[in-house]
Amino acid sequence: MKRLRMRASHRSVLFIAGLALAASGTAVAQPQGGEPEPEIEMGGEEAAAGAEGGVEGGEIDMGEPEPEPAGDLAADMAASEAANAAPVKAGEVTRTPLSWQDILVVVRKPFLKARRTELLPMVATTLNDNMVRHYAIGGQLSYYLTDVLAIGVEGLYYQPTFREPFDLVARQARRLPTINTYNWSASLNFHYVPVYGKFAVFDKKLITWEVAFTAGIGAGQSVVEERDKKYPGFTNLLIMPNAGASFRFFLTKWLTVNAGVRDYIFLDKFEPVDRAMYTSASQAKDHADSRLINNVMFQVGLSFWLPTSFEYTTFR
Amino acid sequence: MTMTKSTISALGLALVGILASDAIVPSEAFAERRLNNLANDVAVRHRRLLVKNRFELTPLFESTINADFRHIIGGGLKLEYHFSDMLSVGVVGVGATAINTGLVDKIEPTLEDMSDPDTREPSRDEFMTRLNSMPLHGAAYVSFTPWYGKLAAFGAAFVAFDFYFQAGVSYAQLKSDCPTNVCNDPAPGQFTGPDMMTPPDGNPNNDDPLNSGSRLGLYLGGGIHVFLNDFIALDLTVRDYAFSDNPSGADFNADLAVTKDDSRFLHHLFFGAGVSIMFPTTVKRTP
Repeated sequence: MKRLRMRASHRSVLFIAGLALAASGTAVAQPQGGEPEPEIEMGGEEAAAGAEGGVEGGEIDMGEPEPEPAGDLAADMAASEAANAAPVKAGEVTRTPLSWQDILVVVRKPFLKARRTELLPMVATTLNDNMVRHYAIGGQLSYYLTDVLAIGVEGLYYQPTFREPFDLVARQARRLPTINTYNWSASLNFHYVPVYGKFAVFDKKLITWEVAFTAGIGAGQSVVEERDKKYPGFTNLLIMPNAGASFRFFLTKWLTVNAGVRDYIFLDKFEPVDRAMYTSASQAKDHADSRLINNVMFQVGLSFWLPTSFEYTTFR
Repeated sequence: MTMTKSTISALGLALVGILASDAIVPSEAFAERRLNNLANDVAVRHRRLLVKNRFELTPLFESTINADFRHIIGGGLKLEYHFSDMLSVGVVGVGATAINTGLVDKIEPTLEDMSDPDTREPSRDEFMTRLNSMPLHGAAYVSFTPWYGKLAAFGAAFVAFDFYFQAGVSYAQLKSDCPTNVCNDPAPGQFTGPDMMTPPDGNPNNDDPLNSGSRLGLYLGGGIHVFLNDFIALDLTVRDYAFSDNPSGADFNADLAVTKDDSRFLHHLFFGAGVSIMFPTTVKRTP
């Protein structure tokens, strides 16, 4: 009886100790103070395997691309069943040292975009006009159909400033430049994200980023800057396709930084050289000089993502 | 047996107490030790040291971005030695030719063939020969590479890259060819004559443009290496050579004479593309 009680006592102590140990282990494995998930997570089993194998924990070879795993889940399961069906050998079990080279680690993408909406307030400036520099403020609303494809709308409001050559040409060469400024533009855009990567900052912090290509079609308005103010100017409604590329840097699950270049291409109408012959705005517009314009703009902004979080649909 | 039982019970309770306290309040020291393994570690292990202790030789092409009067387009060489992953020193030199911008092509045909003092308008020669070119330019710099990483393009091509930023001293050799029959004002903006009583002609179009010669200034740059293999990288850079210049060679401050005061500190933005070859051609890895 005594022996039985002792056993019961021993068992309960071990059970409680085991529970405590398990709880303690769980606590230790969790990030302290609710910190965000590290970029690269080491599974407990893998860490243990590494420790048993005498390999230093946490090593991940970032140098070479690892071989791709078989993507067919059914084939994997069939192979696993076949392996299990083989007779179990009796006798002493030999422990094979496990190295990190034997463990295939596929890091999950740290940011998922599929079925999420991106709201991008942004500012922009002209890159390729040596007469007028436009500053623009605007926004872009995009919905990601998949992780790499999105559709969205964009709007920009422009504010022109004249650069040094604008005055210089008038003063030095005695020539009044023929220029148009822009009021606004809007477009329907399609985005494709073919490139993603990650980089380390100061060899400490890993940041993921990607490259998106954008193409769209839209409209805009340009305004003729009259060379002689006694003749009225006119505005043009422009068909404005665009194409460009941008970088996106992921900061949190709902916030990214975007920077890119966009080329807005359109056929603009300029004030005719012989403006004195066409005194009204409509006459001048009818005889306007047309020219294909590439308005290349640098854009930068902060993207806010909705919903603000996401769920992984596949196992780690 | 009673002694043993009580001893075991006491030990068990003590163990439970210790472990329970560990479970309820996670051991900070333990947790820190566990976290610090990664928190204080480098971001990437077994990393290929693609630049450290390597000499970089880069034949390159360079062109101005959004130049006002003349595009400067040329080729050159960049030599750089990387002391570490992040720090390097280098020099870049470019020989270049000049091509008129669209603005110049628009203005020139509208100008008069011959100079006319009444219109105060430059003739074609006066306008064109005053524009300067930049047959040679370069810089000596210190380069800082805070970011490195790798990217996957179209899910197929995996390449390493790094971003770098440079700062240093720029040098430019400027050239303008205004012949003496065009730039014939001996003393622009000054009184001349035996008693210094003859007033300036008030015509800046026949003044020497004063926009040739050597210039020293500041240099800033930023770019990216995209490594195609262990020793060859695509090198894309935006460079800013900032120095005193008057590219049009004209009267900028509207005092009716071209003087040194018309020069101002200008940024000359270039885009460069090159192929970097790293020596030695083999790479080492971090632990």
